[in-house]
Amino acid sequence: MPARTPSQTVGPFFHEALRWKDGARVSLATAGRHIVLTGTLFDGAGAPVADALVETWQLGPDGQAPRGATAGQPHGFGRVQTGQDGAFRIETSMPGGALPCIEVTLLARGLLKALRTRVYLAPETEVRGDPQLQALQGSPRIATLVARAQGADEFRWDVRLQGDGETVFFAP
Amino acid sequence: MNDMTRPDGIDPPYLYTDYRSTRLRAPREPLLALPQGALDRPGPLVPAGFVRDGDNDLTTRGRAAPLGEKMVVSGRLLDEAGRPLRRSLVEVWQANASGRYAHPGDQHDAPLDPNFVGTGRTLTDDDGWYRFVTIKPGAYPWQNHAFAWRPQHIHFSLLGNAPVQRLVTQMYFPGDPLLAIDPVYNSVPDVKARERMVCSLALETGIEGIALGYRFDIVLAGAQATPREP
Repeated sequence: MPARTPSQTVGPFFHEALRWKDGARVSLATAGRHIVLTGTLFDGAGAPVADALVETWQLGPDGQAPRGATAGQPHGFGRVQTGQDGAFRIETSMPGGALPCIEVTLLARGLLKALRTRVYLAPETEVRGDPQLQALQGSPRIATLVARAQGADEFRWDVRLQGDGETVFFAP
Repeated sequence: MNDMTRPDGIDPPYLYTDYRSTRLRAPREPLLALPQGALDRPGPLVPAGFVRDGDNDLTTRGRAAPLGEKMVVSGRLLDEAGRPLRRSLVEVWQANASGRYAHPGDQHDAPLDPNFVGTGRTLTDDDGWYRFVTIKPGAYPWQNHAFAWRPQHIHFSLLGNAPVQRLVTQMYFPGDPLLAIDPVYNSVPDVKARERMVCSLALETGIEGIALGYRFDIVLAGAQATPREP
C-alpha cells in the first residue's frame, strides 16, 4: 500500500496556474435560484488575506451531487482568488437539500495544508440542528459557519483564520 | 499542535513557526471532526475538453525555447489503496531557470524569460499517469529568515476524485543541499514522508539527447468514493 504524499503550501505565486476562466461562476446541469456569495478573509492580526485561493463544492438545486460538466467546466465547483482587499465573490445556484450549504477549501501562503470549512445559507437556528455540528452544540462559534443574507439573493460570509471570531475549520 | 488529527506525521501542522507566514494564518481553535466519510464522496468531474493538447508542455509557449535544463517529469497518481486516479486534473507552476516566477508579486532580482510562463495542466490517463515537459526551476531567495533560499521545486495541485483527496504539494529534486534548511520541506514531521516529495532521476523517462527524465508519483488520501466512469 503506497503512503500519502504530504501537503505543502500553495505559496504566493499560484495565480496564473490556478486561474480558471469561469471559476467564479459555478455551473450546474439545472440552474436554480441564482445567488451571490461574497466575503473577506482575515488573518490573526485582522489584516486581509490578499493571496488566498477559495474553492467551493456544493449540491445541485435538486439536492444531488453534481456529476457532469458543461462548456469545459465541472459542475458544482467554484474557484476564485482573493483580491488585494482579501475579498472574494462567487455566483452560483442555491444548493438543494434540507440545510443548504457550500463546502469551502482555502489555500494560501502560510497554510501548509488546506483549510476546510463550510458556509450554511440557512438561518442559524436551523444550522444548530445539524447533527454534523453536534460537537459545537451551544457554542457561539457555530455562527462563523452561517452566511448573512444581504438583500434578496446575496449572502455575506467573512472568514477569520485565527483569533477573535475564528472560523470553525474541519479536521482533514 | 491542535491539528494532528491524522496522527501519521505526514501532513505539516498549521502552525510551524520556522515558516513565518504560518504565525498569523494558522487556526488556534481545535478543528471540528466531521462524521467519517463526510468528505469522501465523489467530487468535481473535470471534462476532457478542459485540458488542451500541449498544455502539459511548458517549453513551447514562446517564440523560442526557454533557457534552462530541459526535463520531463512523469509519474502516477494513486490513492492509498494503490488504485490509479483516472482522468484526474494535475496543475503545475514553477520558477524559471533563474529562480524567477512570471508573477507580478515576485520581486527577486533575477531575469524573466520571455519564453517561459511556468504553468501547465494535464489529465491523468487510464492508468493514472501524467507527464509534463519543462525546464528545471532555479532556486531563489525569500524573506523568511536571513539567507533563506527555497530549494528547486515544482508546485503540484491535484483535484482528486473526492473532496478528501484535494492536495497541493511541491516536488523537490534529489541531492539538493537547500532541503536541509527549508522550513516548508521540513514542516513535514515524518522524514520518510518528506522524502516522498523528492523525485527520482529516471533517465529513460526523458527524451534521449534532449531532456532529463524525473519520476514523481503522488499518493492521495482515501478514498472510499467509487471511481467514476468517464
